[in-house]
Amino acid sequence: MAAVADEVELLFALVRHRYGARLDEAQLKIVRETLEGLARDLAALRAVEIPSGAEPAQPFVAFRADS
Amino acid sequence: MSAAFRTIRELGADLRAGRVSPVALAERCLDRLETVGGKLNAVVTLTRERALEQARRAERELAAGRDRGPLHGIPYGAKDLLATSDGIPTTWGAAPFRDRCLDYDATVVRRLEEAGAVLVAKLAMVEFAGGMGYRQPNASFTGPGISPWASDAWSGGSSSGSGSAVGAGLVPFAIGSETWGSILGPATYCGVTGLRPTYGRVSRHGAMPLCWTLDKLGPLALTAEDCGLVLDAIAGADPADPTAAPRPYRYDARDPGRGFRFALVGGTADAAEPAVGEAFTRALGILREIGSVEEIALPALPYEAMTRIILWSEAASAFEGEIESGAIAGLTAPEDRVTPYARDAILSKDYLRALRLRGVVARDIDGVLSRFDAIVGPSRGNAGPRLGAEFRSPIRGGAPDVLGAIGNAAGLPAVGVPCGFTAEGLPVGLQFLGRAWDENVVLAAARAWQARTDFHRRRPPVA
Repeated sequence: MAAVADEVELLFALVRHRYGARLDEAQLKIVRETLEGLARDLAALRAVEIPSGAEPAQPFVAFRADS
Repeated sequence: MSAAFRTIRELGADLRAGRVSPVALAERCLDRLETVGGKLNAVVTLTRERALEQARRAERELAAGRDRGPLHGIPYGAKDLLATSDGIPTTWGAAPFRDRCLDYDATVVRRLEEAGAVLVAKLAMVEFAGGMGYRQPNASFTGPGISPWASDAWSGGSSSGSGSAVGAGLVPFAIGSETWGSILGPATYCGVTGLRPTYGRVSRHGAMPLCWTLDKLGPLALTAEDCGLVLDAIAGADPADPTAAPRPYRYDARDPGRGFRFALVGGTADAAEPAVGEAFTRALGILREIGSVEEIALPALPYEAMTRIILWSEAASAFEGEIESGAIAGLTAPEDRVTPYARDAILSKDYLRALRLRGVVARDIDGVLSRFDAIVGPSRGNAGPRLGAEFRSPIRGGAPDVLGAIGNAAGLPAVGVPCGFTAEGLPVGLQFLGRAWDENVVLAAARAWQARTDFHRRRPPVA
């Protein structure tokens, strides 16, 4: 859990650096809550062992206008 | 004769028998959309001029014996994320775009016109299709969508007006979109039937992009049969959308002539509200009359987290301009003005990890579904939340929705049907989740359900 909390702080610092000037304290609280949920999701996702051969399910098709 | 709550088949018979004309039908829908639709916050724009022009054309063609098929002369509404020309605004439910007009029609709108359908309204929706993280119903510049079943209940989102307009009998069908829950949710809360097609079945050209790999367009209507008729008209390849698959689709209204094979994921209704769980338990009894129900277990994987990461990553990119510029400050829901900033924190490798897991899940679930016609479960874990209150949402991580997460991430078709009511009179729903490209199978199951139940024929107080 400490790792998740640390990640939340790091991500929060990133968002505040980028957008802090346009957000008040109440809004920053919403950002932090959102990041806490995001960090939990990321921890769950990273805990899954995925076969090395599993490619992203996102087909790219080479483009050629006349084909 | 009232046109309200008549199915596409019934209206088609009325039109061809001369019991009603396309113009009269369109005018009745326009009148009810203006009066009743206004009370429900269901309508963004009445498309009266275009509707009457299309209806007059249908009238001429039908009189001359040129029949374009089941949708000829049938009015419908389109979720306001579908591009429309003719000076009709396309607002995406968002105040910053309330006057924005586009100069082309979305492929779905064009195909419905070719099928002879009559566009009577652009229907209300949650701003940016809910992609900014709203937490309560008041998240559209047209106000919170209101359920036809209770004036203090939400119609659901993000296809709010598509659900409530069909549910209140204002149009026989509507087009909605689903990234995660935006067709099945409003269909449930408004007591109508909703079909989420397979990803790639329907062209997304001209539809607001929220999440390129999750967005699907589909119909909401009174019956599963009507959903099939609409899908037949809008499905198919489209050069303007490379993800629209060149797989032909024809609606097949025949019954399979055998019992259905249903799967039930163990514990799928455990977290649902009591009324939903009770209705679902009763539904299982009826499903066992039309087939078998086998309980199964799925691998323990973070399905919802995977789908959320995909959704939030792509939404952050799709709306990068609005987020970076600060234009989201003009949105209606206070949380929608803030939450998107947090999505900047998602690393690309985490997004790719979600996409890799998605491929594994898509293969696994196809293996499961190869033994069944459909997985059944509640279409939502609750009935329509009350207006003014924060609601729990799987998209924000506040409520479980394994079937929604898997079904949307794997791009699988699902049909949601009414299956009961709460003590307060709010509808609850049942879903049939099928194998990719098997819309006709889940529609057949939903038809069999609706042949044995009357939940879809009950009418709300607002009617």
